[in-house]
Amino acid sequence: MLEAAASEVLLKKPGLVVGARKSWAIAVKDMKIYYFKPAILIFGALFPVTIFFAFMMGRNVEAVTLFPGLIALTLFFSTTTVAPFSIPWERMTRTFERLLFAPVSLTELALGKTISSLVFGLVMSIVPLLIGVIFFGSDVAYVWALVLGIVLGNACISNLGTLVSTVGSETPQNVMLLLNLIRLPMMFISGIFIPINELPTWGRVISWFSPVSYVVDLLRRGLGFKDYFGPVTSSLMLVAFGLAMFAVSVWRMKGWNK
Amino acid sequence: MTGDTAGEAAIYARGLTKYFDSLLAVDHISFSIEQGELFGFLGPNGAGKTTTIRIFMNLTRSSEGTATVYGMDTVRDTLALKSVVGIVPEVSNVFPEITARSNLTFTGALYGMGRRESASRAVELLGMFGLEEHGGKKAGQLSLGLKRRLAIAMSMVHRPKVLFLDEPTSGLDVTASRSIREIVKRLNSEGVTFFLTTHNMEEANQLCDRIAVINRGKIIAVDTPGKLRRAASEAQSVEVTLNRRPTAVEEAGLAGIDGVTGVAEAGESYRLLTADPERTLRSLFRFLEAGDLAVSAVSTPGPTLEDVFVKLTSEEQDVGSGS
Repeated sequence: MLEAAASEVLLKKPGLVVGARKSWAIAVKDMKIYYFKPAILIFGALFPVTIFFAFMMGRNVEAVTLFPGLIALTLFFSTTTVAPFSIPWERMTRTFERLLFAPVSLTELALGKTISSLVFGLVMSIVPLLIGVIFFGSDVAYVWALVLGIVLGNACISNLGTLVSTVGSETPQNVMLLLNLIRLPMMFISGIFIPINELPTWGRVISWFSPVSYVVDLLRRGLGFKDYFGPVTSSLMLVAFGLAMFAVSVWRMKGWNK
Repeated sequence: MTGDTAGEAAIYARGLTKYFDSLLAVDHISFSIEQGELFGFLGPNGAGKTTTIRIFMNLTRSSEGTATVYGMDTVRDTLALKSVVGIVPEVSNVFPEITARSNLTFTGALYGMGRRESASRAVELLGMFGLEEHGGKKAGQLSLGLKRRLAIAMSMVHRPKVLFLDEPTSGLDVTASRSIREIVKRLNSEGVTFFLTTHNMEEANQLCDRIAVINRGKIIAVDTPGKLRRAASEAQSVEVTLNRRPTAVEEAGLAGIDGVTGVAEAGESYRLLTADPERTLRSLFRFLEAGDLAVSAVSTPGPTLEDVFVKLTSEEQDVGSGS
């Protein structure tokens, strides 16, 4: 009877749809709990806008030329904020174990965390785009490039947040500190403030290693500015970076049960 | 009867060992729990109880040995195993920011339930655990006892066959503890197999069909509460309440009564430890007749689980220290 019970369970392999539903449930739970936490709003929304205007203040440039960078910066900060806050927070309060008690694979779990970051990033990055188009006359030259930049960009960069949250620390403060240590220098080598083709040679070389560079590149193409890598390279690099960071995040989470 | 192989047992461990660096937290433990049994894991803090549960949930990897539930390996079949097992950790780790009801429906979603199914199961569980009026409250606003009930309800969402409870009444007041014990008994009578860790002797005594005593990572005895108490026969006692407080000389006389191996004050009474209560009683009355002390009350309580525990752990320490 026991063997029958066990084999009944073992034979009932969960399908992709069920797995996706579990990931979505985790994402929705995170949306309810974390989106309106002050730390998320400060680091995910206020921080990038403040940095951007602090950098641009007093520079004699046309406002429309700033929008690819502003959208990319907002996307970068917002999509990398939710998971690095929620994962260490839940590990600290031990609610993360709730997710591990259930038959949820680490891939489904990491996917859920990434989706909650991604959706936050999507919403936040559309705001400066709309402001640019409605109030400053930004020209949407290629819609597909904009969509690719925003969707692929969020899908890729949100994994950076998940990856950073898998560092050893179980306190959100330490993870956010590390995150900002990574995010701040990345802003300067990704073409956010200065287009990549205007960077010195070493800057152009380093920009290949930042996934944010490809987001900026697609957004520049979408808003009618000269790009550097081209949409195919940028899209492929975002997919590659996204998958690699996701795989490393899951691999690092596997080490948590030692 | 207890299944003694992985295939027959509901919960099975063989040679289970866990090192944290050089610290041996669980030391080659083996046990087998049959379906419907309420099995207690009794031991002091740091004995290895929680680590054992964590190994069964694959939250911690064992260094050696095998652990299975219904024949499913904790590592190889971890997802399948988790679909038939529920766990209530020592800390009621409910999500404090969302309502009690949302905690339940979210848990349902983690087990692959659809929205309607998890919502109706949540209503059922809120009723079953007396949480109806608290369903709409954020879990963080609930009292410790209610949070505990919610945590148990969350562990029951998927109708598990096996439930691991880690110190279920730790930190709760008497009423809340009693309510949790009643819930455990009820679920057990409905066929749920329990693995319950506790350092509360009375709780183990009241609830468990069998108890494993664990100390410093090692199981030092496994038996029914009654048999464990009988095993500590020399820890029997005669408890006597006298008409007045004895003098120092009289106290010394009590210690010299036939068969008495120790005297302990227990409130207004004296507890005379003995392996032979009958002989001690006869000698006690002879002693009292010789003086002007009189008995107000006398009883011969058997050894408590605490006595058993102290005896077993002290024996184990003696062996460990080589004395």
